[in-house]
Amino acid sequence: MVRDSRRRVRRSAPPVMALAGLLALAACGSSSSGGATAGGASAGAPAQPKITLSFLSYNYGTPDLGGKGTQALIDGFEKANPNITIKPEGVATADALTRAQTETAAGSPPDVAQIGWSKVAAAYQALPVVPVQSIPPAAEWSADTAGFSQNLLNAVKSGGQVKAMPYTISIPEIFYNADLFTKAGLDPAKPPTTIAEVKTDALAIKSKAKAQGVYFGVVDPGKSDFLTQSLIASNGGHEIGTDGQPQFDQPAAVAALAAMQDLTRSGAQPAVPTTSALSAFAAGKLGMLVESTAVAGSLQKAATGKFDLRSTGFPSFGSQPAAPTFSGAGLVVLAKDKAHQQAAWQFIKYLTSPAGMTIITSQIGYLPLRPSLATDPKYLAPFFATNKLLSPALAQLDQVTPYQFFPGKGASQAVVALQDNAVAPIVLQGADPAKALTAAATKVRGILNQK
Amino acid sequence: MTADTEVASRAAGRRAGGRGTAPHRPGGPAPRARSWLYLGPATISLAVWVYGPLVFTGVLSFLHWNLVSDHPSWAGLGNYARLVDQPEFPHAAWHTLLYAVGILPFATVVPMALAIMLWKKPGAVSTGYRALLFLPVVLAPVANAIAWQFILDPLQGAANGLLQDAGFGPRNWLGDPATALPVIVLITAAKVVGLNLLLFGAALASLDRRTLEAARLEGATEWETTRFVVVPQLRRTAVLLGLLSLVVVWPWIFTNVAVLTQGGPNGATDNVYYRLYTYAFTFFDAGTASAAAIVISLAFAVLLGAYAVLGRRRADPGPGSGPAGSGPGPAGARPERGRSHASV
Amino acid sequence: MPAFDRWPRLIGRHAVLLLTAAVMLLPLVWALGSSFKPSTTIFDMSPVPLPASLENYRTVFSAFPLWRMLLNTFVTAAGVTALQVLVAVPAAYALTQLTFRGQRFALGLVAVALLVPVQSLIIPAFLMISHLGWRDTYPGLIVPQLSGCALAVVLLRNHLRALPPNLFHAAALDGATAGETLRFVVLPLLRPALSAVVLLVFINTWNEYLWPTLAAPSPKHTTIQAGLALFLNQEGPEYGPLLAASILATVPVVAVYLVASRRIADAFLHAGPG
Repeated sequence: MVRDSRRRVRRSAPPVMALAGLLALAACGSSSSGGATAGGASAGAPAQPKITLSFLSYNYGTPDLGGKGTQALIDGFEKANPNITIKPEGVATADALTRAQTETAAGSPPDVAQIGWSKVAAAYQALPVVPVQSIPPAAEWSADTAGFSQNLLNAVKSGGQVKAMPYTISIPEIFYNADLFTKAGLDPAKPPTTIAEVKTDALAIKSKAKAQGVYFGVVDPGKSDFLTQSLIASNGGHEIGTDGQPQFDQPAAVAALAAMQDLTRSGAQPAVPTTSALSAFAAGKLGMLVESTAVAGSLQKAATGKFDLRSTGFPSFGSQPAAPTFSGAGLVVLAKDKAHQQAAWQFIKYLTSPAGMTIITSQIGYLPLRPSLATDPKYLAPFFATNKLLSPALAQLDQVTPYQFFPGKGASQAVVALQDNAVAPIVLQGADPAKALTAAATKVRGILNQK
Repeated sequence: MTADTEVASRAAGRRAGGRGTAPHRPGGPAPRARSWLYLGPATISLAVWVYGPLVFTGVLSFLHWNLVSDHPSWAGLGNYARLVDQPEFPHAAWHTLLYAVGILPFATVVPMALAIMLWKKPGAVSTGYRALLFLPVVLAPVANAIAWQFILDPLQGAANGLLQDAGFGPRNWLGDPATALPVIVLITAAKVVGLNLLLFGAALASLDRRTLEAARLEGATEWETTRFVVVPQLRRTAVLLGLLSLVVVWPWIFTNVAVLTQGGPNGATDNVYYRLYTYAFTFFDAGTASAAAIVISLAFAVLLGAYAVLGRRRADPGPGSGPAGSGPGPAGARPERGRSHASV
Repeated sequence: MPAFDRWPRLIGRHAVLLLTAAVMLLPLVWALGSSFKPSTTIFDMSPVPLPASLENYRTVFSAFPLWRMLLNTFVTAAGVTALQVLVAVPAAYALTQLTFRGQRFALGLVAVALLVPVQSLIIPAFLMISHLGWRDTYPGLIVPQLSGCALAVVLLRNHLRALPPNLFHAAALDGATAGETLRFVVLPLLRPALSAVVLLVFINTWNEYLWPTLAAPSPKHTTIQAGLALFLNQEGPEYGPLLAASILATVPVVAVYLVASRRIADAFLHAGPG
């Protein structure tokens, strides 16, 4: 017995080892079986020409409203277009562009991808983006986008045309805790409209309501600069000049960030990361939070039954009109062939149609880019009757300024350099605004001039 | 030594059941072909999934190419030059060293002390402690980082409350360039300690408890027993785990940095791995990222080579890291743990 | 030694262990407590979930393919562990117990493989699995993670080197071939180390984020770590459901720990007196 089994072992041990090694390579065999099961799902295609459209979205698959809303959009589209099947892929926000890029490098890009605006320029650089405006005939395009906020549509243009379709768009506004206003002896019906008023109110909240005053989410954890741009533009400056070179070292920009530093210095604003401020606000321990409207839904959920959450428009510098820019995401088309590009357009057309926009606003929490829907009883009038948080931002949609990109492949690096080397040190650590911005501008010029 | 012989004969007896009649065949040295058969699977795996990609990365590091466009252009050493032109990468390299120095005691001394403490008193209580101390390892990295974010929160966190009572004023522990890196080291250390405690435990499991009793019978104090009987037998494991921890710890540090500080404030928590990720996945600069990867790999390879050479010089003359069981010497003639230089 | 002398030492020992455990367990306690907090109190950052709520767990079960993700992660982690051990045991054995030309070279090959940053491997690996048609398949998730087998090889080699050489002499004198020695002498003695390595590889794979994010994008194959990242979204972090899902995700890992640690402890008793 013993001998038998040992002889068998002697003979079979090396082959077993070899087999194990070959598994690394020869798993091609199992690939074919994997392929077969994957193919099985789509094998039952009927004779009618069906198209499958892959859709990369960072809202898809999330366990919150965004996930449900995206599913509702897909379902609605598939019902209206039975010959097109959407194959959605979820991804974490931070990894959306990475995934689009690696899949493109591997030869099979997603047909439609949702890309955050701060990374759209990088997408134009790195990916074979088919400008969405170029897909349909000009007349169809005009007809379908007629109801859009024309100011926004112009603001998202790149090189004279809309390359990425504005999809889930938000703009920054002031969220405030009306209970803390009352406690501090302020009138919650009259929220601040200028940065100076914000400071005064914040200091009142700090001293009388025993809470933190205000927090501008300029030091974005995702290192986006949409609030930096909003502040600079509201003070009459530009982050980037028409030549593509930094202008954030000019007086208007320096003054805008110096105002943020002043908030911190005076104690009106805590020197903490944005995540901490967001939590404090949601816990009812911060008077005002200046953030993108994207967070409105989750703030509402946290505030319900706890404190009176309200919102007002992005504050201005003195008498200059506020000029916030937008954040959120656009849809880029990466489909390779005409048929898929056409299907992608159909899909995008549905997503941004009145029906689609109604879902985007009421379920995912982004702004209706067709402002008339807000008062249309067929669409969003019922929603806006009970949800006031988005209204101030919607009213500012016509003041929105374009989100600016640095040119070339150093675009993302330039933004990070600005945020890390200037904005964060100025706002949180008391660095000298002019010096820090000048140094950052030098650095950014170096980055942009790299090959 | 007698214990070893006993174990050996027990093991041999257990497996063969008295197989004295078999023809005598020396066990080694095995034919080269067979050795490579054993090594083959691992070699092929590494060739395909490490060295192949590494070569690809090496090529990328000399190109300006984003993997997508049809026109890669030759960059020469441009990508490497970019690494040293800007202060970020050298700064990150320096901070990587600080991380390594900070983590090292938590990879070696601390878990070794805990493991010995638990090993000396086997039983349900020790098993319980071992499980408790291992628990931090099982929590998903991102949840672990978020829990720390809650604890260390500068406005509402519990850490400030507790530390304030102990006389350390309220601080933004992760927002202050002076404390951010030490804090990341400490919170990562919890996982390192938990894991290495287990691995030291596994090393102790193959150690003979009777040596301990012999020392005790001879009147050695508990400390002397630990210091002169147990610790020397764990030295090689400690060196190995120290080195390995410096390899496996980066993903944990990475998640903590990504969730808690994003490399800030002022680059205080940056390190070469986070930098590499930033180049590759935030800046989409495949060339610079590849150059960074090559530099990191080369730097480690050089350190490793230097370490191996030094280790060999210190070691006994003899077959070095050669085979233990194939030498023809009489049983028990070689010092059983004489090869004191660390492997790898 | 007089009995009263032992008390201070006993107390000291437990104090050290308990304090260490308390600090190390802080995040787990926080995560566990916070996972029971409703969305109205989750942001206040205290771990005390009063009033407690199952809201987060309900969200996780209803709106999140948790079971599917856990299954995918388990299949992946178990597959990677099995493959790595299968590949690493013979390699560690060959590197310790056999002599052959090129051994140092092979050892160097393994050692350097440990040091290559993972981040630089995933894009080429992704391109490879794409060409193999393995995207969004289990082989695509599992096989490329053989890149981590160097760690298992090095750890197992360390334990093999610590075994008394006499064992192998005895086996050799007995006329055992290398394969027999591996199977009948080495493997039984390697069991505690093997269990530790299994646990280590399993947990490392379980916690892997970057590779599954790229390799298996669809809900059908995505793993729990990639899933957890979806909670940290643009519309405000969903800390409660994230922590609830994370707590549930520790259960399989704890189970594997309990099995593996018993094997470690078993061996530990065998090696003891008696």
